[in-house]
Amino acid sequence: MASISGTAIATSARPLFAARAQVAKGFSGLKSVSFSIQRKSFPSVRLQAAPRRLQVSCAAKPETVLKVCEIVKKQLALSDDTPVTGESKFSALGADSLDTVEIVMGLEEAFGITVEEESAQSITTVQDAADLIEKLVEGKSS
Amino acid sequence: MSWLLRRNMLPLHSNSLARRPLASPPPLLPAPLPSPRETHLWYVVPDQLKDASLLNQYMDLLSPCERQSVLRMNGERLQKGALLARALVRTTLARYTDCRVSPKSFKFRKNRFGKPEVEWNKYDLWAPPPLQFNISHTSTMIACGVALDLPIGVDIEEKQRKTRNNILSLARRYFSPVEVAYLRTLADLESQRHEFIRLWTLKEAYVKALGRGFSGAPFKDFTIRLEASNSKQVTGESKSDASRIVVEAVDHPGILMNRWHFALFELNNSHYAAVCMERDVKDPADRENNSLKLEVWRTLPFVEDECVTETAAVKNIIR
Repeated sequence: MASISGTAIATSARPLFAARAQVAKGFSGLKSVSFSIQRKSFPSVRLQAAPRRLQVSCAAKPETVLKVCEIVKKQLALSDDTPVTGESKFSALGADSLDTVEIVMGLEEAFGITVEEESAQSITTVQDAADLIEKLVEGKSS
Repeated sequence: MSWLLRRNMLPLHSNSLARRPLASPPPLLPAPLPSPRETHLWYVVPDQLKDASLLNQYMDLLSPCERQSVLRMNGERLQKGALLARALVRTTLARYTDCRVSPKSFKFRKNRFGKPEVEWNKYDLWAPPPLQFNISHTSTMIACGVALDLPIGVDIEEKQRKTRNNILSLARRYFSPVEVAYLRTLADLESQRHEFIRLWTLKEAYVKALGRGFSGAPFKDFTIRLEASNSKQVTGESKSDASRIVVEAVDHPGILMNRWHFALFELNNSHYAAVCMERDVKDPADRENNSLKLEVWRTLPFVEDECVTETAAVKNIIR
């Protein structure tokens, strides 16, 4: 696993997320699951400094962003060398509305969350999706 | 103008650029305005475009802002699609202005929900037609629907489109209970997939006609289905069964939202297409039993236009 030097790491110990789709929905007893990235080659992800936020929660962790990138690339059938980062806009990647709902469903399954349609509307980038996911997961485990 | 393009965007041959300065484009075939209850649909097939200099001509029509948006798309194929979409909208609308407004001159704005609309200049001696439009694209086709004065929504989808998720899972998550129940009656997976796609295009077209964005009319809150109608058969109508496409709110089943009429059809043998148009409630002729009329053109702007309405390119129309 490459060393992660972004500033978006939370300081407290937090549960990591399962990469496998075996995380069932409605898993309300979820306390912690293991996370592993399994891939042939690392995509060229540039980790950006998290934007300053006034709220208590930090921007999403790099692992979450990476996982979202993975799901997006799979849904849109993008080649391994297509650059997808937190800043990537779904529309610029060629996602139409059906792709977007499929991506949302993929994220729901992977992270064990439910995304409301109003929240889904406000997601334009990969980073937005990752931030929303962490907010929802945090809401579930608290 | 071509230096505005990123040099590696297209495989341009430097010879052809040196020989041919960017001349003004040939005139567009004008079109008569859509009549009441009529939608005009213009579509372009990106793969039919082989001439790189044509892409330059299209790029020249766009506003600086649109050009930037095109160049922000990820990769050549997506850039070409985005460019064609803007060129299609501009050239299509220009056809309805009697040569008074060039494709390049159009200005657009978004309504408060983000739906694009034309922003007309003020003209002293001419009233611009109240054109309503909507576009939709897939990687293999871009379509632009035009109507007069009444909101319109268009959606196209490749017939062969596969979903990553299971069809019924998608339907249960996003469609209404009535629609899910309908899909479940279909015995084989292929029929389910086709019907899902057709229903998806209808629902998209409706939401786009409403112009309030995806969350303005959540898919789960309304049902689109076929309803047996009581209309007399009009001679010349191609469909003989007396059914029409209707929409109703999940919370108020049986109360049809008659303000909207639909058409669903197959386009170019490759796509399902859905059109949703608002009815003119003030027009006594636009009673609920009068269905949407459709005129369809295949186009490659500045190169060729072909009216395909009565051909095999437009078939299996349900209204």
